Amino acid sequence: MSRSTWRGIIGTLLVLAAWEGAARGFQLPAYTLPAVSDILAAAWRTRAALIPAGWLTMLEALSGYAVGSLLGIGFAVLMAVVTPLRGPLLPVLMAINSVPVAAYSPLVLLWFGIGVASKVVMVALAVGFTVFLSALAGFDRVDRRSVDLMRSFGAGRAAILWRLRLPAALPLIATGMRVSTVRSLIVAIVTEMLGAYGGLGWIIYQAVVQIDFVQVWSAILVASCISLAFFGLVGAIERRVIFWR
Amino acid sequence: MAELADTPLLEMSRVSKTFGPVQALNGLEFSVNAGEFVTVVGPSGCGKSTLFNIVAGLEEPDDGGILRFKGQSCHAAELLGRVSFMPQRDLLLPWRNVVDNAILANEIEGANRKEARAKALAMLPEFGLAGFEKQYPHQLSGGMRQRVALMRTFMFERELMLLDEPFGALDALTRTMMQRWLLDVWQRHRRTILFITHDVDEALFLGDRVLVMSARPGRVKMNCPVPLPRPRHADLVTAPEFIALKRQVLDAIEEEAMKSFTLSTGAH
Repeated sequence: MSRSTWRGIIGTLLVLAAWEGAARGFQLPAYTLPAVSDILAAAWRTRAALIPAGWLTMLEALSGYAVGSLLGIGFAVLMAVVTPLRGPLLPVLMAINSVPVAAYSPLVLLWFGIGVASKVVMVALAVGFTVFLSALAGFDRVDRRSVDLMRSFGAGRAAILWRLRLPAALPLIATGMRVSTVRSLIVAIVTEMLGAYGGLGWIIYQAVVQIDFVQVWSAILVASCISLAFFGLVGAIERRVIFWR
Repeated sequence: MAELADTPLLEMSRVSKTFGPVQALNGLEFSVNAGEFVTVVGPSGCGKSTLFNIVAGLEEPDDGGILRFKGQSCHAAELLGRVSFMPQRDLLLPWRNVVDNAILANEIEGANRKEARAKALAMLPEFGLAGFEKQYPHQLSGGMRQRVALMRTFMFERELMLLDEPFGALDALTRTMMQRWLLDVWQRHRRTILFITHDVDEALFLGDRVLVMSARPGRVKMNCPVPLPRPRHADLVTAPEFIALKRQVLDAIEEEAMKSFTLSTGAH
């Protein structure tokens, strides 16, 4: 493992130790800050509930992420190729995006129900915009002179898109997709908190109602583990695919 | 028949180009014969790049200008894909290795990728790139990147090659090495080359003919044949005939540089 990875691990362990020390030393009540060891113990005890909930949330986040990324890239390609679409469409998309996605959740729950579909739609919405905007910026960033060079070789629009603009936009598309990993989990959990049949958000909501804050923390623990793993995986794929950066 | 053979490959007359209030070219006239190596020098901002963009087909000249390719009058846009163009910067694609960068133009033409790769592989030693086929641009030195770009230009086999200051970004030593090497390659492949530079030594050392451009708006101020024998060697640049030609060309450029300097500073 690299040095920075080790530093990250040591830093995290130090924070957790300080947390444990503070919670025990000041004898903080569980609703303020439970001790790390208590959270871990609770997570282990309630694993039968947490594991399926974690799976559900992860599946919702992943499906929404896939749909959102495809739509985001698709729309960006469309606007990069059919430039006249930009004038009328871009302001509309920006207006939709100017409101935090969570604001749309009551409507989405109403339209798509309390089940998995509404979570996927919400995640796709959140991820789609981030990926769309970064992909569009990527397509616009292409060097004018490279386009001219391709044209001088007799390349048409399709060849320029496929051989130049798409690969040139990849680094920014990948950045957008990496940032979206964390967002996808956040949005899935928030939407679950507003109405769901299961998932980590639902567990958090139920635990709050039952004033079981250790359970809230153990669900958060599972969520952040999934989030970190997802972020790390996408980051690793990005480094492999975009090797020239 | 004799007439046909005498037809220049490229001919321009009364070519002007205006960008808004700026006139980049005004009444440009010149021709390039098949197999000739013509170099273009001029003060900075004299419209050399505009001239190149027209010949590459990227920009149309103003109405009234005449452009002929192989004796046929044509629009600049019709030259797209018919001239192999090498811009100032190498513009290699960072996600393609040396061979795949070299065959980019062939791929766009629709050539078989496997055959193009095999051809490129066979050409690597000539371009000093043997063993580097799998390297990516960020792993190469400036001189090597430039050679890959030149190879891409050579692979795109067209009668006319346009080179826009291909060695401008290289250090002096690498540049002289590349010039000698380019002459070597040219002697073997015998393409027609139109080569832009701002280096008078380079223009004379390489060219059969040097065109000196005027200050903006650009036109051809002087057409200077270079009757120096080939193959040319490094010590040519200190020969008296070379120095005499250099003096002529420098005087012409100096006059133009003063003009554009006076224009831009408003001095009299």
